[in-house]
Amino acid sequence: MVSEGVAREVVVSAVPPPLQADAASDTTAQRKRPRLLCMITIVGRTRPTGKVRRLQGAAPGAVSAPSSNLPPMLRRVVLRLSLLVLGVGALRLAVVPAEVCPAVTVEQVRTAVDEAVAWIERGMASDGRYTYGYSRDDDVVNPGYNGARHAGVTMSLYQVALRHDPDVLDIADRGLGYMLDRLVAGDGWRAWQSSAPEVQLGDNGLFLAALALRREVTGDTRYDGLMRDVGRFVLALQQPDGRMYGAWHAGEGREIAFYGTYATGEAAWALTLLDEAFPGEGWGRAALRTLDYMATDRLRVEGGLAPIPDHWAAYTLESLSAELHHEGTIDYARRLAGYFGIRLRFESQRQGTGINLWLRWYPGPPAGVGTAGEGLGALWRLSRAEPELADLGANMEERLVCTAGTMVSRQATAEEAQAYGRPDLVQGAWFYREYSQLDDEQHVISALLAALEILEKETP
Amino acid sequence: MTAALLVLAYVSGLNPPRTRLGMPETSRQRAAALPLGGGSLLALGAVAGLAWVSGPLLETLEITPETFRIAAGFTLALCGFYVLTRPRPPKEPVPGGWWPALWPVAFPRLLGPEFLALSVTTGSQEGVGATVVAAAVSLALLGLLGSLPRRDMTDRVLLHLGRMVAVALLAVAVWLLIEGIRDV
Repeated sequence: MVSEGVAREVVVSAVPPPLQADAASDTTAQRKRPRLLCMITIVGRTRPTGKVRRLQGAAPGAVSAPSSNLPPMLRRVVLRLSLLVLGVGALRLAVVPAEVCPAVTVEQVRTAVDEAVAWIERGMASDGRYTYGYSRDDDVVNPGYNGARHAGVTMSLYQVALRHDPDVLDIADRGLGYMLDRLVAGDGWRAWQSSAPEVQLGDNGLFLAALALRREVTGDTRYDGLMRDVGRFVLALQQPDGRMYGAWHAGEGREIAFYGTYATGEAAWALTLLDEAFPGEGWGRAALRTLDYMATDRLRVEGGLAPIPDHWAAYTLESLSAELHHEGTIDYARRLAGYFGIRLRFESQRQGTGINLWLRWYPGPPAGVGTAGEGLGALWRLSRAEPELADLGANMEERLVCTAGTMVSRQATAEEAQAYGRPDLVQGAWFYREYSQLDDEQHVISALLAALEILEKETP
Repeated sequence: MTAALLVLAYVSGLNPPRTRLGMPETSRQRAAALPLGGGSLLALGAVAGLAWVSGPLLETLEITPETFRIAAGFTLALCGFYVLTRPRPPKEPVPGGWWPALWPVAFPRLLGPEFLALSVTTGSQEGVGATVVAAAVSLALLGLLGSLPRRDMTDRVLLHLGRMVAVALLAVAVWLLIEGIRDV
């Protein structure tokens, strides 16, 4: 029996000879060691470690059995390689899952837009009001409403009429009629009021955008006076530094000092469209003031953790006349393109099943994907005219086509719709966890129109 | 990525002072030339190969080069923290003959996760030529450190230098993460 204090430890090393210790582990590595196929090192009074097996109760010089059949060096190699492979696997699962981009054709995108427009039309009331939202699993129509979303959907229908199908004009005009029936007047301005007593900036920014797009589609100038009046309403809420207050109190005849998350961008875009329609009247300069504010001071003034990835700002940048662009606006366009780019790349990683569901959660709300898509689409169109953004063009095209493939594959089909209580409110819509809302269709339609332009360009 | 940042990325990824501590040495306490030279050539070849196939590789894996930058940033950050907590490389048994060039010099000393991740991300974004040149510069620095006997620069100096380079690696990691997020 050998007591612990004087135990002799035996290390078995089956490393092929000649073997030298790593310089890091032993500076006497160069000392010659016996060249044996199975080298035995006898170390006296050494603290036991995981690699050294202490023999107790064994005769001096006894050789311990190795913990596995692999020689120590091979074990290290296997361990190192295993760690590398595990690391790569973890990285693949958690950080860079496959970015899946379903193949998509021009025809599929056109059909998807048509289906979504048909969904909007089927849910339209006789006064031009749209169905706001539908929960398909419990078959409930959302009775709520939102003026900015009404105006936004109408605007996107005019985008469809402009870029895809002029026949959609009739549906858009019905939506426009709902707003024209609710006009109010103030000191030198007119605006539409979705609900008393406030007249909202965002509602009217998109109302003005809808009127401007309608003018572009039809060449009809009958609303020119109204457009200028709504433009003056927007200016009434604009402050000297470019910030925009979110609403006007119709009863008290004063602005209400709050900031709408997206209303500022909607209003700025409307002003650029007004400038396109009526150049030389100063609308562009007013829009630039707000655009500069959004690019620089908004986060500080309005608060928040991070800058807003504002797709309406992207539209503003697109429509701003070339002579008004400066270094700051181009830099802002690049930053926005980055926000939209990572959003869409992240979305393409979401499959909503298995372990991917836990790591990436459900496929994102269609409105969120759509806003990133339409924002990137606006910047893509800007990049074609602005040489300083031309280097982003190819990536933007790739992201937009990928998004189109993703959203076409996620659209509810006619067959799928039959499983629900109101197939007419399912077919052609995009659902987030069984619920679809008006702005889901609006934003995805706008994103698909941008992708359509790219696909049509690429298709002979 | 500017040329200076590219070189910094590879130098911090390789971390010559720390790697020098793990090199097999001659009896004069210089890094053994054959394993170091052979290992460096193997590593450079691997970097060039990875950079060359990075585009098709990422395409096959359905990862955009921009997103892979984020993955590379994560890898570098983890490696940077690891080096800060373990500034001395772990001990590895060393075989005889030519084998040390492959093990432990080429792998795992030179071709660590950070070097491999950098090869793919810069190969796909900056091109093969720039990648190989930057990797070669970092290996040349290691060669320079290897040629100096360790008695003239104590382990402590190398350890401190290794920590400083690890901080640079963390900075490069943050840069890669931000660029990967900001890229379109």
